Amino acid sequence: MRRIILAALAALVTSAAAHADAIKVGVVGPFSGPFALQGKNFKAGIDAYMALSGVKVGEDDIEIIYRDVPQADPAQSKALAQELVVKEGVQYLAGFYFTPDAMAVTPLLEQANVPLVIMNAATSAIVTKSPLVVRTSFTLWQTSTPIAKVAREAGVSKIISVVSDYGPGIDAENAFKTGFEAVGGQVVEAIRMPLSTNDFSPIMQRIKDSGAEGVFAFLPSGPTTLGFVKAFNENGLKDGGVKFFAPGDLTQESDLPALGDAALGLQTTFHYSVSHDSPENKAFVEAAAKAIGNPTELSFPSVGAYDGMHVIYKMIEATGGEQNAQKAVDAVKGLSWTSPRGPVSIDPESRHITQNIYLREVSKADDGTYYNKEIQTFEKQGDPGLAALK
Amino acid sequence: MQTIFSIAVDALAYGMVLFVISIGLSVTLGLMRVVNLAHGAFAMIGGYIASYAARDLGVGYGLAVLIAVFGTIVIAIPIERLLYRRIYGRPELTQVLMTIGITFCIIGIANYVFGPTLKTIPLPPSLQGSADLGFRSIAVHRIFAIVCGLCVAAALWYAIERTAFGVRLRAAVDDAAMAAALGVRTEVIYAVSFAVAVGLAAFGGVVGAELLPVEPYYALRYMVTFLVVVSVGGAGSIPGALAACLLLGGIDTTGRYLMPEFGEFFFYLAVIAIVCVFPRGLAGRMK
Amino acid sequence: MTTATTNQAEAPLLSGRHGLGRDLAALAVILVLAVIGYLLFPNNLALLTRIMAIALLVLSLDLVTGYCGVATLGHAALFGSGAYAAGIAAVHFGITDPLLMVAAGIIGGALAGLVCGVVILRAHGLPQLVLSIALIHLFHEFANKASSWTGGSDGLAGIAPDPLFGIFAYDLWGRTAYVFAVVLLAIVFMFLRLVVRSPFGMLCRGIKEDPIRIQAMGGSPTIALLKMYVISGAVAGVGGALNAVSTQVVGLDSLSFTLSAESLVMLVLGGTGSLFGAVTGTIVFMLFEDLVSAANPFHWLTMVGALLIAVVLFAPKGLYGTVAEVLARRRGAGR
Repeated sequence: MRRIILAALAALVTSAAAHADAIKVGVVGPFSGPFALQGKNFKAGIDAYMALSGVKVGEDDIEIIYRDVPQADPAQSKALAQELVVKEGVQYLAGFYFTPDAMAVTPLLEQANVPLVIMNAATSAIVTKSPLVVRTSFTLWQTSTPIAKVAREAGVSKIISVVSDYGPGIDAENAFKTGFEAVGGQVVEAIRMPLSTNDFSPIMQRIKDSGAEGVFAFLPSGPTTLGFVKAFNENGLKDGGVKFFAPGDLTQESDLPALGDAALGLQTTFHYSVSHDSPENKAFVEAAAKAIGNPTELSFPSVGAYDGMHVIYKMIEATGGEQNAQKAVDAVKGLSWTSPRGPVSIDPESRHITQNIYLREVSKADDGTYYNKEIQTFEKQGDPGLAALK
Repeated sequence: MQTIFSIAVDALAYGMVLFVISIGLSVTLGLMRVVNLAHGAFAMIGGYIASYAARDLGVGYGLAVLIAVFGTIVIAIPIERLLYRRIYGRPELTQVLMTIGITFCIIGIANYVFGPTLKTIPLPPSLQGSADLGFRSIAVHRIFAIVCGLCVAAALWYAIERTAFGVRLRAAVDDAAMAAALGVRTEVIYAVSFAVAVGLAAFGGVVGAELLPVEPYYALRYMVTFLVVVSVGGAGSIPGALAACLLLGGIDTTGRYLMPEFGEFFFYLAVIAIVCVFPRGLAGRMK
Repeated sequence: MTTATTNQAEAPLLSGRHGLGRDLAALAVILVLAVIGYLLFPNNLALLTRIMAIALLVLSLDLVTGYCGVATLGHAALFGSGAYAAGIAAVHFGITDPLLMVAAGIIGGALAGLVCGVVILRAHGLPQLVLSIALIHLFHEFANKASSWTGGSDGLAGIAPDPLFGIFAYDLWGRTAYVFAVVLLAIVFMFLRLVVRSPFGMLCRGIKEDPIRIQAMGGSPTIALLKMYVISGAVAGVGGALNAVSTQVVGLDSLSFTLSAESLVMLVLGGTGSLFGAVTGTIVFMLFEDLVSAANPFHWLTMVGALLIAVVLFAPKGLYGTVAEVLARRRGAGR
């Protein structure tokens, strides 16, 4: 009996492989639930890339299969990845908004002979878990380190760090602290607040009492950043001259209309602004806005997805459509191109993206909309977080 | 000293916002005995309507609040007639299943119609900015929320304890069959109470939107907070809910000021302690 | 009429004289279902394994909610503790034998069950629900804080279970994990059938109906319920450990309010107070979720909501409970 089942199974698997006329890419992300906006941006970035670069690589059609993991859930993520590989026969896995979801998939890659292109999950360590992981997003270390320099140059020597108490928040705190102390500044206090915090007034009181000249903040983009920025203004910190520094998650473009005037003048460092001035970005924004439907919903995960697709297309070109994960990954090591965010390359050693980090300031355009205005560029930033791991 | 005052002000403001948003749940939970996990969903509908009215139609804030409250009630009436009526008096777990189902549906529809971005309700100039209290400044809309909370508390208390409707409602809750036999039209009573509860949810959703911004996942994100606050107060009791909101608001604010990194521990340990000391809530009607 | 409404479906089963025969029939049903699952979804064993891990959680919830009448929205605390116990044993202590990891999960789950039981049993009704909510948040926050042990929000990665009995490795297709899960589920299910039918199980049901009477008869409701909580913790711990073994990552989601609430929804969906109800609810909910979320990853939540509403309207005692009732009535009419 068992032999018959196995034979049937083998037949199924081989027949699935034989019928693979299209190359399938499985994308796992939060397409519903509290992070649906970010999942939507994944899809917009992917659609934009396929609209601009075609749905074929050579002779092969590219087919995208989406799977939803609404909140960080490694078990579900792994089950879906397994299903994508075994049942759908995908040759590439991509997406992944949350770190644990990506971590859960890394042990599968070698046996599945499938590369994983991470379009968001931002903890440095993921790329070390498997040689088949490539990342086209950013890490908190990468985006939070330059702001330390900015803060110091703005004349701030004593600063208080306020972050959400979870993995990325702690990464941001460490990155900033390391960077700020290296340029001679002092972090007088480091506060970690629970993710579920709704009312930030007590935190603002703490900032006030600490006597710091500036505050470094990190919260996941979304509803809480609104409360945080508003509380910062309403409790008189902005008027009191306390300077505000943060990585760009706090002022992601899709939150700006809600933040309104409250965000004006906030300085953040990030790898991508929708307003980035380049022909590549203009084409990208146009295509992505069309794909997402409502242009105000466009945000940073879309560019991670767009470049992720670029990497996957290059991998398919290099392997000629044949399934060979190691060859595919080797082909993109050192790959450099001009992304909508600016010039980027894949670091051959870490397989993480090397990119420019921009200092931006929230400004009001002539038509009354808000945007992140790029005012300074930190060129070719690698991931300092990997060095910190060692 | 100044710090203590400052924390007290924050606690009061936060507690009152919590009160305004969750008091509607106290009505359904305590007086109608329905575990209405869709309460947050109705608050969210109110927020969306107000946001749409104020931003896209350009009506004034006061009018937007009215439209939100009545619009939400209009949406809720068919839901009450078709769905809630089937679960009055049924086991709590059945009610949980039904109301979670309703919440899922509303979230899905909101995500489809309005998209996943945050929606704000523009405040009138008179509610913007900060007021100076001498030792610190506080946002004017928070003072507005405090006043709203006090008005709602007073009005509800009066309606339940002092009016003929309140007497009938309490009678219908305590013994529906007996009340019906005495000529109380329990169906009407229930429908009106439900409308009031939904209206309060919508009102709270709008007034609290500065603190809890409106987005599709609102309905589930804050559900736990509402449920905890109402139960600690003792479902169905207006003074109890008020006391619970102020107490929990105070504990939360103090905890987040003194030890932000352990804020969550503070809050939930306090909840456990309170429930153990007052197993029926601070002033509960529940058996 | 002393049996609860939810227990009516089970009543004819209980009165059956051939307890052993029915147990064997139940075992056969599970094994047949497992084989059917293997044949129907040979490429999706990971999903089926996950369903079985969650089914263990829902079974464990049924023990306290369905059989003892304890309302809880924090049951994932037991499941997550089991998962973390197994994961920490593997990552920090090098205990990578799957069976030993399950043992660690059982211990972790049972301890968490004891802690939760002591707290939750102090209140009834709505306040009890609130205690359970507070507990799950405390567990979650604790795991987040103890990130050097648990990996915090990044998850506890690097769990590498040995091949089962040193022969069957955990592979991409998930066959080993699947068989492992089926065997664990079958063993636990049979064990639970014995437990709920035992005098102790009957005592718990009695407590659900009328605790004062049980007390008057000389029973101690709190001690009995606490015992049940520990058993429930052990069962949830098996589920958690299974999850850790098959996923090789443990995330904070396994200690979340969301998972607790979902498991309660699955239980009520299937029908409380019956072991088959718990399993039915889990299978239907998770397969339905998988189906609709694959069909439309963006707007599937509405469909799940509609399913829940439909079940309340058309199958008020849960899917299994209602079917069993209809069958029982037919049989009664036929006689």
